[in-house]
Amino acid sequence: MGSSILQFCKRHHLLDFSAYLVLMVGGIILLLKGAEDQGYYWQWFRIPKFLYQFEDGRFIAGPILNGLKITLNITWISLILTYIIGLVTALMRLSNSLMARGIARAYLELTRNTPLLVQIFFMYFVVAPILDIDRFTAAVLALSLFEGSYASEIYRAGIVAVNKGQWEASYTLGLNSYQNYRYIILPQAIRRILPPLTSQAISLIKDSSLVSVIAIYEMTMNANEIASETFLVFEIFFTIAAIYLALALTLSRVVAYFEKRYRVVT
Amino acid sequence: MNTKEFGDYIIRVDNIGKTFDNGVVALKDFSTNIRRSEVVVLIGPSGSGKSTFLRCLNGLEEIDSGSITVDGIPLDDNKKNRLEIRKEVGMVFQHFNLFPHLTVLKNISLAQMLVRKKSRVEAEDETMQLLKKVNIAEKANVFPSQLSGGQQQRVAIARALAMKPKVMMFDEATSALDPEMIGEVLEVMKDLAVEGMTMVVVTHEMGFAREVSDWVIFMEDGMKVEEGTAEHFFSDPKMDRTKLFLSQIL
Repeated sequence: MGSSILQFCKRHHLLDFSAYLVLMVGGIILLLKGAEDQGYYWQWFRIPKFLYQFEDGRFIAGPILNGLKITLNITWISLILTYIIGLVTALMRLSNSLMARGIARAYLELTRNTPLLVQIFFMYFVVAPILDIDRFTAAVLALSLFEGSYASEIYRAGIVAVNKGQWEASYTLGLNSYQNYRYIILPQAIRRILPPLTSQAISLIKDSSLVSVIAIYEMTMNANEIASETFLVFEIFFTIAAIYLALALTLSRVVAYFEKRYRVVT
Repeated sequence: MNTKEFGDYIIRVDNIGKTFDNGVVALKDFSTNIRRSEVVVLIGPSGSGKSTFLRCLNGLEEIDSGSITVDGIPLDDNKKNRLEIRKEVGMVFQHFNLFPHLTVLKNISLAQMLVRKKSRVEAEDETMQLLKKVNIAEKANVFPSQLSGGQQQRVAIARALAMKPKVMMFDEATSALDPEMIGEVLEVMKDLAVEGMTMVVVTHEMGFAREVSDWVIFMEDGMKVEEGTAEHFFSDPKMDRTKLFLSQIL
Protein backbone atom coordinates (compact mmCIF):
# COMPACT_ATOMS: atom_id res chain seq x y z
CA MET A 1 0.00 0.00 0.00
CA GLY A 2 2.68 2.44 1.13
CA SER A 3 4.87 1.62 -1.82
CA SER A 4 2.03 2.08 -4.28
CA ILE A 5 1.37 5.60 -2.93
CA LEU A 6 5.06 6.33 -3.30
CA GLN A 7 4.93 5.09 -6.89
CA PHE A 8 1.88 7.20 -7.62
CA CYS A 9 3.70 10.25 -6.26
CA LYS A 10 6.77 9.44 -8.32
CA ARG A 11 4.85 8.98 -11.49
CA HIS A 12 3.13 12.31 -11.17
CA HIS A 13 6.24 14.12 -9.88
CA LEU A 14 4.23 14.99 -6.79
CA LEU A 15 7.27 14.99 -4.51
CA ASP A 16 9.18 17.26 -6.84
CA PHE A 17 6.23 19.53 -7.18
CA SER A 18 5.63 19.82 -3.43
CA ALA A 19 9.29 20.60 -2.81
CA TYR A 20 9.08 23.32 -5.45
CA LEU A 21 5.94 24.75 -3.86
CA VAL A 22 7.45 24.77 -0.36
CA LEU A 23 10.55 26.61 -1.63
CA MET A 24 8.58 29.23 -3.53
CA VAL A 25 6.08 29.92 -0.74
CA GLY A 26 8.96 30.01 1.76
CA GLY A 27 10.78 32.55 -0.40
CA ILE A 28 7.76 34.81 -0.62
CA ILE A 29 7.08 34.62 3.13
CA LEU A 30 10.71 35.52 3.84
CA LEU A 31 10.49 38.47 1.47
CA LEU A 32 7.30 39.81 3.02
CA LYS A 33 8.64 39.28 6.52
CA GLY A 34 11.86 41.10 5.63
CA ALA A 35 9.91 44.06 4.34
CA GLU A 36 7.68 44.06 7.41
CA ASP A 37 10.68 43.96 9.76
CA GLN A 38 12.06 47.01 8.03
CA GLY A 39 8.82 48.71 8.74
CA TYR A 40 7.95 48.97 5.06
CA TYR A 41 4.37 49.91 4.56
CA TRP A 42 3.00 48.19 1.44
CA GLN A 43 0.61 50.35 -0.53
CA TRP A 44 -0.34 48.16 -3.45
CA PHE A 45 -3.71 49.88 -3.66
CA ARG A 46 -1.98 52.98 -5.05
CA ILE A 47 -0.46 51.10 -7.98
CA PRO A 48 -3.40 50.62 -10.40
CA LYS A 49 -3.80 54.30 -11.16
CA PHE A 50 -0.24 54.38 -12.51
CA LEU A 51 -1.19 51.55 -14.84
CA TYR A 52 -4.56 52.78 -16.06
CA GLN A 53 -7.56 54.86 -15.08
CA PHE A 54 -11.17 55.06 -16.12
CA GLU A 55 -12.51 58.52 -16.71
CA ASP A 56 -16.18 58.75 -17.63
CA GLY A 57 -16.04 55.07 -18.47
CA ARG A 58 -13.16 55.69 -20.88
CA PHE A 59 -9.93 53.72 -20.53
CA ILE A 60 -6.89 55.96 -20.05
CA ALA A 61 -3.43 54.39 -19.97
CA GLY A 62 -1.28 55.44 -17.03
CA PRO A 63 2.42 56.31 -17.23
CA ILE A 64 3.53 52.69 -16.86
CA LEU A 65 1.39 51.46 -19.74
CA ASN A 66 2.44 54.45 -21.83
CA GLY A 67 6.03 53.56 -21.08
CA LEU A 68 5.32 49.94 -21.98
CA LYS A 69 4.10 51.09 -25.39
CA ILE A 70 7.42 52.83 -26.02
CA THR A 71 9.37 49.86 -24.68
CA LEU A 72 7.49 47.59 -27.09
CA ASN A 73 8.10 49.97 -29.99
CA ILE A 74 11.81 50.16 -29.30
CA THR A 75 11.96 46.41 -28.83
CA TRP A 76 10.25 45.22 -31.99
CA ILE A 77 12.09 47.60 -34.30
CA SER A 78 15.42 46.79 -32.63
CA LEU A 79 14.64 43.10 -32.76
CA ILE A 80 14.13 43.09 -36.52
CA LEU A 81 17.30 45.14 -36.99
CA THR A 82 19.18 42.86 -34.60
CA TYR A 83 18.29 39.78 -36.63
CA ILE A 84 19.19 41.46 -39.92
CA ILE A 85 22.49 42.86 -38.61
CA GLY A 86 23.30 39.52 -37.00
CA LEU A 87 22.68 37.57 -40.19
CA VAL A 88 24.61 39.97 -42.41
CA THR A 89 27.55 40.03 -40.00
CA ALA A 90 27.59 36.24 -39.76
CA LEU A 91 27.60 35.91 -43.56
CA MET A 92 30.38 38.50 -43.76
CA ARG A 93 32.46 36.56 -41.26
CA LEU A 94 31.97 33.38 -43.27
CA SER A 95 32.66 34.98 -46.65
CA ASN A 96 35.84 34.64 -48.67
CA SER A 97 36.39 38.39 -48.79
CA LEU A 98 39.12 39.58 -46.47
CA MET A 99 37.56 43.04 -46.27
CA ALA A 100 34.13 41.72 -45.28
CA ARG A 101 35.68 39.51 -42.62
CA GLY A 102 37.77 42.39 -41.33
CA ILE A 103 34.83 44.79 -41.01
CA ALA A 104 32.69 42.18 -39.30
CA ARG A 105 35.47 41.35 -36.90
CA ALA A 106 36.13 44.97 -35.96
CA TYR A 107 32.42 45.59 -35.38
CA LEU A 108 32.10 42.50 -33.19
CA GLU A 109 35.13 43.28 -31.06
CA LEU A 110 34.04 46.89 -30.54
CA THR A 111 30.43 46.19 -29.59
CA ARG A 112 30.98 43.11 -27.50
CA ASN A 113 33.86 44.47 -25.48
CA THR A 114 32.40 47.82 -24.42
CA PRO A 115 29.45 48.44 -22.07
CA LEU A 116 26.06 48.95 -23.68
CA LEU A 117 25.56 52.05 -21.56
CA VAL A 118 28.65 53.67 -23.09
CA GLN A 119 27.46 52.70 -26.57
CA ILE A 120 24.09 54.33 -25.95
CA PHE A 121 25.78 57.54 -24.81
CA PHE A 122 28.17 57.41 -27.76
CA MET A 123 25.32 56.92 -30.21
CA TYR A 124 23.31 59.77 -28.69
CA PHE A 125 26.01 62.35 -28.05
CA VAL A 126 28.43 61.63 -30.92
CA VAL A 127 26.70 59.82 -33.77
CA ALA A 128 23.21 61.31 -33.53
CA PRO A 129 24.26 64.96 -34.06
CA ILE A 130 26.40 63.97 -37.05
CA LEU A 131 23.64 61.94 -38.71
CA ASP A 132 20.97 64.28 -37.44
CA ILE A 133 18.77 61.54 -35.96
CA ASP A 134 16.36 61.79 -33.04
CA ARG A 135 16.85 60.13 -29.68
CA PHE A 136 14.43 57.30 -30.40
CA THR A 137 16.35 56.32 -33.55
CA ALA A 138 19.63 56.63 -31.67
CA ALA A 139 18.32 54.30 -28.97
CA VAL A 140 17.10 51.75 -31.51
CA LEU A 141 20.41 51.87 -33.39
CA ALA A 142 22.51 51.49 -30.25
CA LEU A 143 20.43 48.55 -29.03
CA SER A 144 20.32 46.72 -32.35
CA LEU A 145 24.02 47.15 -33.02
CA PHE A 146 24.80 45.80 -29.56
CA GLU A 147 22.43 42.82 -29.70
CA GLY A 148 23.22 42.22 -33.37
CA SER A 149 26.81 41.33 -32.56
CA TYR A 150 25.66 38.59 -30.21
CA ALA A 151 23.02 37.42 -32.68
CA SER A 152 25.68 37.15 -35.37
CA GLU A 153 27.65 34.66 -33.31
CA ILE A 154 24.49 32.61 -32.85
CA TYR A 155 23.81 32.62 -36.59
CA ARG A 156 27.40 31.70 -37.31
CA ALA A 157 27.32 28.76 -34.92
CA GLY A 158 24.06 27.57 -36.51
CA ILE A 159 25.39 27.86 -40.05
CA VAL A 160 28.67 26.14 -39.26
CA ALA A 161 26.77 23.31 -37.53
CA VAL A 162 24.92 22.34 -40.71
CA ASN A 163 26.44 19.10 -41.96
CA LYS A 164 29.17 19.53 -44.57
CA GLY A 165 27.35 17.03 -46.79
CA GLN A 166 24.47 19.50 -47.19
CA TRP A 167 26.79 22.11 -48.69
CA GLU A 168 28.34 19.54 -50.98
CA ALA A 169 25.00 18.15 -52.15
CA SER A 170 23.73 21.63 -52.88
CA TYR A 171 26.85 22.70 -54.79
CA THR A 172 26.87 19.43 -56.69
CA LEU A 173 23.35 20.19 -57.89
CA GLY A 174 24.61 23.49 -59.28
CA LEU A 175 23.01 25.87 -56.75
CA ASN A 176 24.92 29.13 -56.37
CA SER A 177 25.92 30.57 -52.98
CA TYR A 178 22.79 32.65 -52.58
CA GLN A 179 20.45 29.78 -53.47
CA ASN A 180 22.43 27.47 -51.21
CA TYR A 181 22.04 29.74 -48.19
CA ARG A 182 18.47 30.70 -48.96
CA TYR A 183 17.00 27.24 -49.59
CA ILE A 184 19.33 24.74 -47.94
CA ILE A 185 21.56 26.10 -45.20
CA LEU A 186 19.59 28.88 -43.46
CA PRO A 187 16.30 26.96 -43.16
CA GLN A 188 18.20 24.24 -41.32
CA ALA A 189 20.38 26.60 -39.29
CA ILE A 190 17.53 28.83 -38.12
CA ARG A 191 15.48 25.92 -36.83
CA ARG A 192 18.42 24.98 -34.65
CA ILE A 193 19.19 28.46 -33.37
CA LEU A 194 15.63 29.49 -32.52
CA PRO A 195 16.13 28.94 -28.77
CA PRO A 196 19.31 31.07 -28.47
CA LEU A 197 17.84 33.71 -30.80
CA THR A 198 14.87 33.90 -28.45
CA SER A 199 17.15 34.41 -25.46
CA GLN A 200 18.67 37.25 -27.43
CA ALA A 201 15.23 38.79 -27.93
CA ILE A 202 14.57 38.51 -24.21
CA SER A 203 17.90 40.22 -23.45
CA LEU A 204 16.85 42.95 -25.83
CA ILE A 205 13.55 43.51 -24.02
CA LYS A 206 15.39 43.84 -20.72
CA ASP A 207 18.28 45.90 -22.10
CA SER A 208 15.81 48.34 -23.62
CA SER A 209 15.38 49.71 -20.06
CA LEU A 210 18.88 51.17 -20.38
CA VAL A 211 17.87 53.71 -23.00
CA SER A 212 16.15 55.65 -20.22
CA VAL A 213 19.58 57.27 -19.72
CA ILE A 214 19.07 59.36 -22.84
CA ALA A 215 15.68 60.51 -21.57
CA ILE A 216 13.46 58.18 -23.52
CA TYR A 217 10.28 57.77 -21.55
CA GLU A 218 9.97 54.03 -21.76
CA MET A 219 8.64 51.86 -18.96
CA THR A 220 11.67 51.90 -16.65
CA MET A 221 12.15 55.63 -17.00
CA ASN A 222 8.53 56.27 -16.07
CA ALA A 223 8.74 53.82 -13.19
CA ASN A 224 11.79 55.64 -11.89
CA GLU A 225 9.97 58.94 -11.93
CA ILE A 226 6.90 57.59 -10.17
CA ALA A 227 9.06 55.88 -7.55
CA SER A 228 10.95 59.05 -6.77
CA GLU A 229 7.74 61.05 -6.48
CA THR A 230 5.72 58.58 -4.44
CA PHE A 231 8.35 56.46 -2.65
CA LEU A 232 6.45 53.34 -3.74
CA VAL A 233 9.81 51.87 -4.77
CA PHE A 234 9.08 48.18 -4.23
CA GLU A 235 5.53 48.22 -5.55
CA ILE A 236 6.44 50.07 -8.74
CA PHE A 237 9.55 48.08 -9.54
CA PHE A 238 7.88 44.76 -8.72
CA THR A 239 5.08 45.74 -11.04
CA ILE A 240 7.30 46.54 -14.00
CA ALA A 241 9.42 43.45 -13.27
CA ALA A 242 6.22 41.41 -13.55
CA ILE A 243 5.43 43.08 -16.88
CA TYR A 244 8.94 42.35 -18.23
CA LEU A 245 8.57 38.77 -17.01
CA ALA A 246 5.21 38.39 -18.72
CA LEU A 247 6.63 39.73 -22.00
CA ALA A 248 9.63 37.41 -21.91
CA LEU A 249 7.59 34.34 -20.99
CA THR A 250 5.04 35.00 -23.73
CA LEU A 251 7.83 35.29 -26.26
CA SER A 252 9.47 32.02 -25.16
CA ARG A 253 6.14 30.21 -25.35
CA VAL A 254 5.43 31.44 -28.86
CA VAL A 255 8.88 30.44 -30.06
CA ALA A 256 8.67 27.05 -28.34
CA TYR A 257 5.49 26.42 -30.29
CA PHE A 258 7.12 27.25 -33.63
CA GLU A 259 10.19 25.27 -32.72
CA LYS A 260 8.08 22.19 -32.12
CA ARG A 261 6.07 22.70 -35.25
CA TYR A 262 8.98 23.10 -37.64
CA ARG A 263 11.37 20.63 -36.08
CA VAL A 264 13.60 18.80 -38.55
CA VAL A 265 14.68 15.25 -37.91
CA THR A 266 18.13 14.62 -39.31
CA MET B 1 31.56 -9.41 -73.98
CA ASN B 2 30.83 -5.75 -74.13
CA THR B 3 28.79 -4.63 -77.07
CA LYS B 4 28.14 -1.06 -75.92
CA GLU B 5 28.97 1.78 -78.26
CA PHE B 6 31.20 4.43 -76.77
CA GLY B 7 31.39 8.00 -77.91
CA ASP B 8 34.23 10.50 -77.72
CA TYR B 9 35.99 11.37 -74.51
CA ILE B 10 33.72 13.33 -72.15
CA ILE B 11 36.16 13.58 -69.25
CA ARG B 12 39.85 14.21 -69.70
CA VAL B 13 42.12 14.12 -66.69
CA ASP B 14 45.77 14.98 -67.22
CA ASN B 15 48.44 14.50 -64.57
CA ILE B 16 46.46 15.84 -61.66
CA GLY B 17 47.96 16.07 -58.20
CA LYS B 18 46.31 16.82 -54.87
CA THR B 19 47.88 17.24 -51.44
CA PHE B 20 45.67 18.05 -48.45
CA ASP B 21 46.51 20.83 -46.00
CA ASN B 22 47.64 18.25 -43.45
CA GLY B 23 50.30 17.03 -45.88
CA VAL B 24 48.54 13.83 -46.97
CA VAL B 25 49.12 13.21 -50.67
CA ALA B 26 45.80 12.07 -52.14
CA LEU B 27 46.56 12.03 -55.86
CA LYS B 28 49.90 11.83 -57.65
CA ASP B 29 50.21 12.55 -61.33
CA PHE B 30 46.91 10.83 -62.09
CA SER B 31 45.61 10.69 -65.66
CA THR B 32 42.64 9.01 -67.27
CA ASN B 33 40.12 9.63 -70.00
CA ILE B 34 36.50 8.57 -69.89
CA ARG B 35 34.29 8.12 -72.95
CA ARG B 36 30.60 8.80 -73.28
CA SER B 37 28.43 5.90 -72.03
CA GLU B 38 31.41 4.26 -70.38
CA VAL B 39 31.09 2.85 -66.86
CA VAL B 40 34.38 3.23 -65.03
CA VAL B 41 34.81 1.63 -61.63
CA LEU B 42 37.51 2.75 -59.24
CA ILE B 43 38.60 0.27 -56.62
CA GLY B 44 41.38 0.18 -54.08
CA PRO B 45 42.07 0.20 -50.36
CA SER B 46 40.71 3.05 -48.28
CA GLY B 47 42.83 6.16 -48.46
CA SER B 48 43.97 5.32 -51.97
CA GLY B 49 42.50 8.52 -53.43
CA LYS B 50 39.37 7.15 -55.18
CA SER B 51 36.90 9.47 -53.50
CA THR B 52 39.25 12.43 -53.77
CA PHE B 53 39.47 11.79 -57.50
CA LEU B 54 35.67 11.90 -57.82
CA ARG B 55 35.48 15.06 -55.73
CA CYS B 56 38.10 16.71 -57.92
CA LEU B 57 36.06 15.93 -61.03
CA ASN B 58 33.27 18.31 -59.99
CA GLY B 59 35.41 20.79 -58.13
CA LEU B 60 34.46 19.81 -54.56
CA GLU B 61 38.22 19.54 -54.05
CA GLU B 62 40.76 21.79 -55.71
CA ILE B 63 43.56 20.16 -57.67
CA ASP B 64 47.11 21.42 -57.12
CA SER B 65 48.43 20.53 -60.57
CA GLY B 66 47.34 19.05 -63.88
CA SER B 67 44.07 19.70 -65.65
CA ILE B 68 40.52 18.39 -65.86
CA THR B 69 38.12 18.94 -68.75
CA VAL B 70 34.47 17.88 -68.64
CA ASP B 71 32.54 17.89 -71.90
CA GLY B 72 34.96 20.42 -73.32
CA ILE B 73 34.74 22.78 -70.34
CA PRO B 74 37.97 23.24 -68.41
CA LEU B 75 37.65 23.01 -64.63
CA ASP B 76 39.57 26.13 -63.65
CA ASP B 77 39.17 29.13 -61.37
CA ASN B 78 36.39 30.50 -63.56
CA LYS B 79 33.27 30.35 -61.40
CA LYS B 80 30.96 30.05 -64.39
CA ASN B 81 32.82 27.02 -65.71
CA ARG B 82 32.59 25.40 -62.30
CA LEU B 83 28.85 25.91 -62.06
CA GLU B 84 28.47 24.64 -65.62
CA ILE B 85 30.41 21.47 -64.84
CA ARG B 86 28.46 20.86 -61.64
CA LYS B 87 25.25 20.97 -63.63
CA GLU B 88 26.56 18.32 -66.01
CA VAL B 89 28.04 16.02 -63.39
CA GLY B 90 25.62 14.40 -60.94
CA MET B 91 26.94 12.98 -57.71
CA VAL B 92 25.61 10.42 -55.27
CA PHE B 93 27.19 10.36 -51.84
CA GLN B 94 27.85 7.60 -49.34
CA HIS B 95 25.64 9.30 -46.75
CA PHE B 96 22.91 10.39 -49.23
CA ASN B 97 22.99 14.04 -48.08
CA LEU B 98 19.30 14.56 -48.72
CA PHE B 99 17.91 17.86 -47.46
CA PRO B 100 16.20 16.92 -44.17
CA HIS B 101 13.86 19.94 -44.10
CA LEU B 102 12.34 19.22 -47.51
CA THR B 103 10.02 16.45 -48.64
CA VAL B 104 11.22 13.91 -51.18
CA LEU B 105 9.30 15.78 -53.88
CA LYS B 106 10.96 19.09 -53.00
CA ASN B 107 14.39 17.49 -52.58
CA ILE B 108 14.23 16.46 -56.22
CA SER B 109 12.31 19.43 -57.66
CA LEU B 110 14.23 22.28 -56.02
CA ALA B 111 17.35 22.32 -58.17
CA GLN B 112 15.33 21.74 -61.35
CA MET B 113 13.45 24.94 -60.62
CA LEU B 114 16.43 26.98 -59.39
CA VAL B 115 19.14 25.79 -61.75
CA ARG B 116 17.30 24.44 -64.80
CA LYS B 117 14.65 27.19 -64.50
CA LYS B 118 11.71 24.81 -64.85
CA SER B 119 8.24 25.73 -63.65
CA ARG B 120 6.99 23.99 -60.52
CA VAL B 121 4.59 21.82 -62.54
CA GLU B 122 7.27 20.74 -65.00
CA ALA B 123 9.72 20.00 -62.20
CA GLU B 124 7.22 18.01 -60.20
CA ASP B 125 6.16 16.02 -63.25
CA GLU B 126 9.76 15.12 -63.93
CA THR B 127 10.23 14.28 -60.25
CA MET B 128 7.32 11.86 -60.26
CA GLN B 129 8.69 10.15 -63.38
CA LEU B 130 12.05 9.72 -61.71
CA LEU B 131 10.51 8.45 -58.49
CA LYS B 132 8.68 5.81 -60.54
CA LYS B 133 11.94 4.91 -62.18
CA VAL B 134 13.60 4.30 -58.81
CA ASN B 135 10.45 2.50 -57.55
CA ILE B 136 9.54 4.88 -54.78
CA ALA B 137 6.76 7.05 -56.21
CA GLU B 138 4.51 6.52 -53.17
CA LYS B 139 6.98 8.33 -50.92
CA ALA B 140 6.89 11.67 -52.72
CA ASN B 141 5.43 13.59 -49.80
CA VAL B 142 7.37 12.20 -46.88
CA PHE B 143 10.52 13.60 -45.32
CA PRO B 144 13.87 11.83 -45.75
CA SER B 145 14.00 10.82 -42.08
CA GLN B 146 10.94 8.63 -42.67
CA LEU B 147 12.72 6.53 -45.31
CA SER B 148 15.05 3.56 -45.01
CA GLY B 149 18.67 3.96 -46.09
CA GLY B 150 18.06 2.20 -49.39
CA GLN B 151 15.07 4.40 -50.14
CA GLN B 152 17.02 7.54 -49.24
CA GLN B 153 19.81 6.56 -51.58
CA ARG B 154 17.35 5.94 -54.40
CA VAL B 155 15.88 9.40 -53.81
CA ALA B 156 19.42 10.82 -53.92
CA ILE B 157 19.99 9.12 -57.27
CA ALA B 158 16.71 10.52 -58.59
CA ARG B 159 17.72 13.97 -57.34
CA ALA B 160 20.99 13.82 -59.26
CA LEU B 161 19.27 12.46 -62.39
CA ALA B 162 16.72 15.25 -62.32
CA MET B 163 19.41 17.65 -63.44
CA LYS B 164 19.83 15.54 -66.61
CA PRO B 165 23.56 15.23 -66.04
CA LYS B 166 25.87 13.88 -68.72
CA VAL B 167 27.94 12.04 -66.14
CA MET B 168 26.90 10.37 -62.88
CA MET B 169 29.40 9.79 -60.09
CA PHE B 170 28.79 7.37 -57.24
CA ASP B 171 30.97 7.73 -54.15
CA GLU B 172 30.60 4.44 -52.27
CA ALA B 173 26.86 4.73 -52.72
CA THR B 174 26.11 1.43 -50.98
CA SER B 175 28.70 1.49 -48.19
CA ALA B 176 26.42 3.04 -45.57
CA LEU B 177 23.51 0.69 -46.29
CA ASP B 178 22.28 -2.40 -44.48
CA PRO B 179 23.13 -5.48 -46.52
CA GLU B 180 19.53 -6.18 -47.54
CA MET B 181 19.22 -2.71 -49.06
CA ILE B 182 22.34 -2.78 -51.20
CA GLY B 183 20.60 -4.77 -53.93
CA GLU B 184 17.84 -2.25 -54.59
CA VAL B 185 20.36 0.55 -55.07
CA LEU B 186 22.68 -1.51 -57.28
CA GLU B 187 19.65 -2.43 -59.41
CA VAL B 188 18.97 1.23 -60.13
CA MET B 189 22.64 1.80 -60.94
CA LYS B 190 22.67 -1.16 -63.33
CA ASP B 191 19.62 0.15 -65.15
CA LEU B 192 21.39 3.47 -65.62
CA ALA B 193 24.46 1.77 -67.04
CA VAL B 194 22.33 -0.20 -69.48
CA GLU B 195 20.64 3.01 -70.62
CA GLY B 196 24.03 4.36 -71.60
CA MET B 197 24.72 6.82 -68.79
CA THR B 198 28.38 7.70 -68.39
CA MET B 199 29.25 6.61 -64.87
CA VAL B 200 32.25 6.92 -62.58
CA VAL B 201 31.79 4.62 -59.64
CA VAL B 202 33.80 4.16 -56.46
CA THR B 203 32.65 0.93 -54.88
CA HIS B 204 33.58 -2.13 -52.88
CA GLU B 205 30.89 -4.19 -54.62
CA MET B 206 33.06 -6.42 -56.78
CA GLY B 207 30.04 -8.24 -58.22
CA PHE B 208 28.73 -4.94 -59.55
CA ALA B 209 32.16 -3.95 -60.89
CA ARG B 210 32.52 -7.25 -62.69
CA GLU B 211 29.06 -7.28 -64.18
CA VAL B 212 28.49 -3.66 -65.12
CA SER B 213 31.77 -1.86 -65.60
CA ASP B 214 33.52 -1.32 -68.91
CA TRP B 215 36.78 -0.27 -67.37
CA VAL B 216 38.26 -0.91 -63.93
CA ILE B 217 40.98 1.18 -62.33
CA PHE B 218 42.79 -0.11 -59.26
CA MET B 219 44.37 2.65 -57.20
CA GLU B 220 46.73 2.83 -54.30
CA ASP B 221 48.50 5.82 -52.69
CA GLY B 222 46.94 8.24 -55.15
CA MET B 223 48.26 6.40 -58.19
CA LYS B 224 46.97 3.95 -60.74
CA VAL B 225 48.30 0.48 -60.03
CA GLU B 226 46.51 -1.35 -62.81
CA GLU B 227 43.59 -0.83 -65.15
CA GLY B 228 41.73 -2.78 -67.76
CA THR B 229 38.41 -4.23 -68.83
CA ALA B 230 36.44 -5.95 -66.10
CA GLU B 231 37.09 -9.29 -67.71
CA HIS B 232 40.84 -8.83 -67.83
CA PHE B 233 41.00 -7.20 -64.46
CA PHE B 234 39.20 -9.82 -62.43
CA SER B 235 40.28 -12.97 -64.19
CA ASP B 236 43.82 -12.11 -65.15
CA PRO B 237 45.34 -9.30 -63.08
CA LYS B 238 48.97 -8.61 -63.88
CA MET B 239 50.30 -6.85 -60.80
CA ASP B 240 50.98 -8.65 -57.54
CA ARG B 241 49.41 -5.79 -55.58
CA THR B 242 46.17 -6.19 -57.53
CA LYS B 243 46.17 -9.94 -57.00
CA LEU B 244 46.67 -9.47 -53.26
CA PHE B 245 43.87 -6.91 -53.03
CA LEU B 246 41.46 -9.08 -55.00
CA SER B 247 42.31 -12.14 -52.95
CA GLN B 248 41.50 -10.19 -49.79
CA ILE B 249 38.26 -8.71 -50.98
CA LEU B 250 36.69 -11.47 -53.09
